[in-house]
Amino acid sequence: MLLNAVIIVLREVLEASLLASTFLAISQMLQRDRKWIFFAFSLGLVMGSIYALSISSVSMMFGGAGQEILNASMQTLIYLSLLVFAAAVPHQNKPLFRNLTIISLVFAVVLSLSREGSEVLLFITGFIGVPTLFNSVLLGGAVGAGIGLSVGVFFYYLLIHLTPRFGVWLGYVILLLISGSMMSQAVEFMMQADIFSSTAPVWDSSSLISERSISGQLLYALIGYEATPTLSQVIAYIGSMTLFIVIAITSSTLREKHL
Amino acid sequence: MKSIRLYLLLALLATITLVNFVSLLHGYQSSMQKAESLFDSRLKSTAMLIKLANSAKQNQQHSAEKEDPYTFFQIFNESGNELIIHSSNAPHIMLGELSEGFHDVNFASYRWRNYVHEDTKLQRWIVVAERIDIRYILAEDVVLESLVPIVLAIPVSALIIWFAVGLGLKPLTLFATQLSHKRVDDLSPITLERVPSELTTVVNSTNSLLLRLEEAFDREQRFSADAAHELRTPVSVLKVHLHNLGTRLGRQDEDIVLLTEGVERMGHLIEQILALYRTSPDQAAVKFEQVDVFKTVQSLIAFNYDTFDRKQQTIDLDGESHVIEANLFALETLVMNLINNANKYTPEQGEIHVEVKRHELGVLLRVEDSGPGIPEAQRERVFERFYRLHGDRHDSGVVGCGLGLTIVKHIADLHHATINLGTSANGGGLRVDVIFPLRAISHA
Repeated sequence: MLLNAVIIVLREVLEASLLASTFLAISQMLQRDRKWIFFAFSLGLVMGSIYALSISSVSMMFGGAGQEILNASMQTLIYLSLLVFAAAVPHQNKPLFRNLTIISLVFAVVLSLSREGSEVLLFITGFIGVPTLFNSVLLGGAVGAGIGLSVGVFFYYLLIHLTPRFGVWLGYVILLLISGSMMSQAVEFMMQADIFSSTAPVWDSSSLISERSISGQLLYALIGYEATPTLSQVIAYIGSMTLFIVIAITSSTLREKHL
Repeated sequence: MKSIRLYLLLALLATITLVNFVSLLHGYQSSMQKAESLFDSRLKSTAMLIKLANSAKQNQQHSAEKEDPYTFFQIFNESGNELIIHSSNAPHIMLGELSEGFHDVNFASYRWRNYVHEDTKLQRWIVVAERIDIRYILAEDVVLESLVPIVLAIPVSALIIWFAVGLGLKPLTLFATQLSHKRVDDLSPITLERVPSELTTVVNSTNSLLLRLEEAFDREQRFSADAAHELRTPVSVLKVHLHNLGTRLGRQDEDIVLLTEGVERMGHLIEQILALYRTSPDQAAVKFEQVDVFKTVQSLIAFNYDTFDRKQQTIDLDGESHVIEANLFALETLVMNLINNANKYTPEQGEIHVEVKRHELGVLLRVEDSGPGIPEAQRERVFERFYRLHGDRHDSGVVGCGLGLTIVKHIADLHHATINLGTSANGGGLRVDVIFPLRAISHA
């Protein structure tokens, strides 16, 4: 049970901590006020708890597919916030865009923490009534969270120790990968809710890197790795990343023209 | 990076957590495997015990009172189709294959681990089984006991790292504290008891910089004294010759009047520039002593009484003795500038009021006059160097160079005093309040 708890908690914590550390590092690079960070983290955790507490009523919505649809919507909103961020960053000199960058990142972090936090909370509280397994789940959860947060800390210091130019570039790349991962997961949730029909996997790389291994979880959190993705997931992954790149490049080009 | 201490805490803690937890997972996996093999050998031993304890070859009724629901045993005949004896919770058929060794089977909605042993001597099969989930829970319970301290050690490590890093950074903190607490006039080298090798260069460079700064200040001090002497002497000589020329040509001669004014202005300018330099807040050579503000003001008014008398002005001084930590020369210069300004801008037969009293924030020196005052909009600007109200067009007809209030501001800053300009309630002219802070008050 411990290993299952480690993997489930690690998957959620790692994803949230990578997004949060990228957000922290980018805020520092853009010299944004730190009060937003604490605001985003606190709000994310509070919202995650509320979501977890109201999960039974959420699940009952949309003919029993409420949780999947809400999760898919949250992932899509995170993706849209990242698109706004990509569009706003090159225009930092304008107050409107300066506020937009921070608001979009805060929005993405709050949503991400809410979703991941609620999943961790639901998983752990689900074992409260099973005393033989609860300790194991709690310990596994602590180990998973510890590994996830540690990777987040290293990632944050890596980003801020890089030269600003390379740091911003790497931050962009991470957000790009998170974007792809968000939309791929959103499609997966929509398939679970039968909004999209599930198709056969395009490939199966589970023998190479299993999704359940720690390296698989790391890759999942970092690049949205799926061992057996369906065609719609692949299309969503590539399509969302392409749109992100197009928006980022167009926005930078527009700024250069104005200059 | 906002803080070295926080960075070290987080980086070290993340390293410890990551390394410990990854090894914990490996340890967990191998301990679980080890526990599995221990359970297997226990199962095997149980089968051997049953083999020795029971020699039945034909059907027997087992009479155990209350059996453990998580284990069972069966003894089959040679062909495995007849159950000779079994525990009450055991199935009545052979589960899995009839071959020596361990097998995982399903029974009563659970997975069971069974050990099948062939008793070749009595030609029968002995089967002992345990529920896998219970084995797993038991094994995990044992393994977890050894893992909990590793997880609990993380917050303890965090505390220890926080204090250890704080201790390691102490020389740096002490160095920073000494630097920030240095008085503006203190250019003595920084001394640390034990300087770590990483800080040696920084401390040495800072001390050498302080030494060079002190030498530079000394040079400037000497230059200022020399310059004062060199500039004052020719101006004094010029004044003597001008006086003699005035006597010879008549004092009312227009050229003599203009020349006298020019020389007066030049002399005043030199004095003020020197005062400005000597009282600059970054002038490190200024030494502080205990000075009675009231007595200083009193003696300066007495010394300059003629000046007020010439314009038939009345000047009065109120208040009592207040001793503060101040530089006497600077304080005298401040008072002189304030009362001279009052004298200049107050018309003939006007009134000047000076007060020294205790204020809630320290000691208040107030100078009020019945002159034209300073409009509110210009009160900030009058402290700028060479800024003169209405340019040169003030109707006081007195020599001024626009440095008086700049000097006053410098001296106030030097003493951490605050200046407020306002309108005099009595005379309607300018009111200048200089408040020397409480810490400047001497308790000696």
